Amino acid sequence: MATDLLTIAASGVRAARVALDVTAHNIANAGTSGYVRRSVQLSELASASGFGQVGDLSFSGVRIEGMVRNADAFRQAEVRRTGADAARAGTELTAYQNVEAALEQSGLFPAMTGLEEALQQLSIDPVDPSLRTATLEQARTLARTFNLAEQGLTTVADGLHFAATDGVDQVNRLSAELARTNLQLARSTPGTADHVLLLDQRDGLLGQISGYADIATSFRPDQTVTVRIGGTSGPQLVAGGTVDPLSLTVAGDGTLSFSNGTGSVTLSGGSLAGQAQGLVLVRDSRVGLDAIAASLIASANGAQAAGVALDGTPGQPLFSGTTAADIAASLTSGAGIATAPAGASAGSRDPAGLAALRSALSSADISGQIDGLLFQVSSATQGRATTADALEAIAGAAQLALDQQAGVNLDEEAVNLVRFQQAFQASSKAIQIASDLFDTLLAIR
Amino acid sequence: MTSVSTSAFYDRFNLDMSSLRSRAEALQAAIGSGNRLTRSSDDPVAASRMRTLGRADAFAAVDLSIAARASSDLTLADSALMSFTDSLIRVQELATQAANDVLSASQRAGIATEIEQISGELLRLANTRDSAGHALFGGDTAGDAYTLDGAGNAVYIGTSSASDLPLGDGQSVTRGLTGPEFLNFGGTNLFAVVKGLADALAGGAADPAQAARDALGSLDTGLETITTQQTVIGTRLNWIDLNTERRTQMGELRAQEEADVGGTDLGEAVSQLQQTMTVLEASQASFARLSSLSLFDFLR
Repeated sequence: MATDLLTIAASGVRAARVALDVTAHNIANAGTSGYVRRSVQLSELASASGFGQVGDLSFSGVRIEGMVRNADAFRQAEVRRTGADAARAGTELTAYQNVEAALEQSGLFPAMTGLEEALQQLSIDPVDPSLRTATLEQARTLARTFNLAEQGLTTVADGLHFAATDGVDQVNRLSAELARTNLQLARSTPGTADHVLLLDQRDGLLGQISGYADIATSFRPDQTVTVRIGGTSGPQLVAGGTVDPLSLTVAGDGTLSFSNGTGSVTLSGGSLAGQAQGLVLVRDSRVGLDAIAASLIASANGAQAAGVALDGTPGQPLFSGTTAADIAASLTSGAGIATAPAGASAGSRDPAGLAALRSALSSADISGQIDGLLFQVSSATQGRATTADALEAIAGAAQLALDQQAGVNLDEEAVNLVRFQQAFQASSKAIQIASDLFDTLLAIR
Repeated sequence: MTSVSTSAFYDRFNLDMSSLRSRAEALQAAIGSGNRLTRSSDDPVAASRMRTLGRADAFAAVDLSIAARASSDLTLADSALMSFTDSLIRVQELATQAANDVLSASQRAGIATEIEQISGELLRLANTRDSAGHALFGGDTAGDAYTLDGAGNAVYIGTSSASDLPLGDGQSVTRGLTGPEFLNFGGTNLFAVVKGLADALAGGAADPAQAARDALGSLDTGLETITTQQTVIGTRLNWIDLNTERRTQMGELRAQEEADVGGTDLGEAVSQLQQTMTVLEASQASFARLSSLSLFDFLR
């Protein structure tokens, strides 16, 4: 077949038309998250016109090779990795801040100071009933503050458990979707709009999973992906169309562990890792708080037992319970505070018992212990805040780098619109010329 | 080719402006509240220091009220001792009169009656109550300091010593005097001397004038003992004043440190806020300029 100007021009028009469609599609999706800019790959169509006619080239116009997706696999992997780190650090920081708030806003330190203040005030007149009542009420406030701090920690732990359970569900849901996408990818033809859409979907799902847990990916030639959870040495989460779902175990002390069918999973990134680390802090804080409560109970009750109450009977325990959760003021009236030393008569103003109680509390250094716990948590939080800021910035930079390469630039698309419009017009002109040529030939008489 | 994608452009401006805005808000909060720290993790060391300082402030307030109480009790004791001195001087005058040999027995009996009255007054004085309603001179006892036995002798029933009140920072002051500390001297006590004198003048002694002369010596010693104890009270009041002064100075130092550690440096914060606002305004203006720049506007 000889060179056919009409066919060439028609292929040009078709190509320009498709290119315009793709440009319009890019513009329409300029704000879509996870959308990777597409472009049309064109190639020349030329061949020898027939067997034996080597020198006689014939041009057949342009051919649409397929759709190209301008995604850089390395940058995408970087976005996933840094995103998982940032999600972990961010979740961890929130958990740390919540623990800090639970301990600080319960007012533990001021309440302890309040009790010591009341005891000091009581030394003015140890038999004054109103001072005694005020002291007992301060002790009650302190006990309730311990309960409050403990409840605060429980609330933080509950929130983290809820979020982690939801996170595991999300990972499994996304993995199932990824497995379906894998199957569809294996069946679709490369270069088609459908294939490109599936690739976008695949990368989007990978990005979402990496927000929950750190994953390692490997791509097959057919563009299906195999996902390992917990880094390159972790067990497989998705392979082809099969999913090995992740599961969550909550230990007695509230800490988390993860596993799937293959074995246990150690997460070092993603919000699930952050929640696990936050729960470790909750456990440690709870142990610290219980130790302080136990030391308060032991020192106060010990001093009480060594003295006598206002009615001359041996002092009864000031606090009941053993931990921060169940500590309570157990005296029924302020008269029960043992301000007098052993052997003193009823109504004695001898403040030796009170002095012993105060020195027991100060030598157990309860307020120092509370300050130490607060300092420990708050300095850990401060450190986490710095890390989270840094990782956030790194993840932002990686995302920006990917966006610069894969995102839509409206100015560029505007230029493309003009370019392909011109190409369309030029090819149309070629059709008109072909038609004119034909008319010219027909006009020969 | 690197090109900035449109969504990356918007995202970056969004990120920049929201971080500037949150910084401005944090500065505004610091200026508004006067506190540099909104939570412990803003500066853990400073927060811990603030806790310690706040604790010391709370204890200083209690110390102040204890010092005021100790001060008022000691002042009460001082005025009671003044009354003791006045009564004792009256007894001395009466004893001097009674020591005159020319007085008749009935005149001495009259003097004896007055001395007995004064003796009762002295007992009531010794049982004065302090500001909390407890025996001022009874140490830590719950009831009276002195009581009369069957023979009409005043007997001390309080505790052996008065307890100390803490004044803060390990300092303390003894809250008062016990009766025996200023009423006992030379193996006897003032009540016994006065009662002995009254009894002798009422006819209990063979030579009442001599008994009165003997009593004068004891009364002198008694008066001296009381005066000595007044000096002790004065010294204690001074000690309390000294501690209060020191506490005030420490309080000022603490307030200074609290302002240094946890307060907002207004000048610095305001200039930082101004700087942040300038940058924010500039980036808003540049965003408005850049975002209105679209090639589509020029293609007609």
